[in-house]
Amino acid sequence: MRGVGALFFGLCGLALAGCAAPSPEAMAANDPYEPANRQVFALNQQLEHIFFLPTLHRYQSLPQGLRTGVHNALRNLAGPTIFVNDVLQAQSERAERAAARFVVNSSIGLGGIFDPATPAGLPYHGEDFGQTLAVWGAGEGPYLMLPLLGPSNPRDATGLAVDTFVIDPTNYFHIEGHFWWDAGRQYLNLLDLRSQSFEALQGVERSSVDYYAALRSLFRQTRNAEIRNGAPTPAAELPDF
Amino acid sequence: MLKPFALARRAVLAAGLLAATMTPALAADPAETFVSQNIQKGLALLNNKSLTTQQKRDQFEQFLLGLADVKRIADFTLGQYRRSAPPADVAAFEVAFQNYAVAVYQSYFSKYAGQTLKVVGSTQRAPTDYIVATQMIDPSDRSGQAPLEVDFRVRTDTAKPVLTDVALATSSGGQVWLSLTQRDQFVAFLGQNNGNVKLLITHLSDLAKQFKS
Repeated sequence: MRGVGALFFGLCGLALAGCAAPSPEAMAANDPYEPANRQVFALNQQLEHIFFLPTLHRYQSLPQGLRTGVHNALRNLAGPTIFVNDVLQAQSERAERAAARFVVNSSIGLGGIFDPATPAGLPYHGEDFGQTLAVWGAGEGPYLMLPLLGPSNPRDATGLAVDTFVIDPTNYFHIEGHFWWDAGRQYLNLLDLRSQSFEALQGVERSSVDYYAALRSLFRQTRNAEIRNGAPTPAAELPDF
Repeated sequence: MLKPFALARRAVLAAGLLAATMTPALAADPAETFVSQNIQKGLALLNNKSLTTQQKRDQFEQFLLGLADVKRIADFTLGQYRRSAPPADVAAFEVAFQNYAVAVYQSYFSKYAGQTLKVVGSTQRAPTDYIVATQMIDPSDRSGQAPLEVDFRVRTDTAKPVLTDVALATSSGGQVWLSLTQRDQFVAFLGQNNGNVKLLITHLSDLAKQFKS
């Protein structure tokens, strides 16, 4: 796994190494590495079209019930990570809900394939270490387009690494072929996420004059709302018309 | 969180205490009424099966232009280029943006044609600036999922209220404002193309044609 991490951060460093002086628009958008980010974005789109979309279309042709089961199981596997981050953010009510969801869905929900917790009044909520860092006061830093993983920033990239390699409890169990377990799970996570947002993102791409900038804006707005735990954008933060 | 405010407001109105108890929160009612009445009309229009595609398109255009301050939104989406661009280019951009917005918004709202809109509350950002929170209720939905939350930004500094932005909730708990997203991409596009507003106009016109074809 260390080899994969080194390769990943090496690619990031390579992408950032060739940066020209940022434009005023890039600085205003907090995207000083915009030229390099756009190159990574173009690479990601090519990789997606060649390797990812054919699999995604096959995945989407599976019965809805099967895909829902995969979606539920992946969310359930993330339960302990969500619980730990709720605790780190001192969100006791949400932490209790995350723990109760994990217990109910792992047992009655047959390992998380079914989601009896939601109708029982324990709805899902997301949480990750990037959000925890934000709650602790860390700024997002400059916008980054990560190879394979897409829109991010130093805070959220750090959060992803901590969630994946430190907080996730499967790191502490001996699993034969742990690398393939991690890789398979991350790939299924991507498939699940993309299959849910595929139509919406197609609409965004179709109506965009600059798809890269549209995604950057959508990522920022969505991420900020997630950090606010879904609360609406504070009125003071909205721009004047 | 907003719902109790809306209920309390109606109770106060019913008691005939409006004049005596007028507060800033109560003043949000015109924006809520505006959204409640007009958006429902738009959804009914898109759901009207007796209209041809062209009739629907024409009527939706009239509906949107009567509802939203498209010129104000267009100027906002140009960002800092609104001040530096030649006035003739800005005027041409406003026309191109209008065609683009009608085509794109019709496409967005068509997805919710069979649904009904429920106003759940509002907040007042400034004396003439409101955010009205709503939910799209799908009568045929049996999935048990929470309804889609849509916020509308309404300005009341003109003769009648006007819509200036729409925010859609995302499945991950996020929220996306459409005008803000458009401004971010238009400004980025202009930054990549030496501030050439004419090029942006061409691009928007092409996109509008694609959506209409």
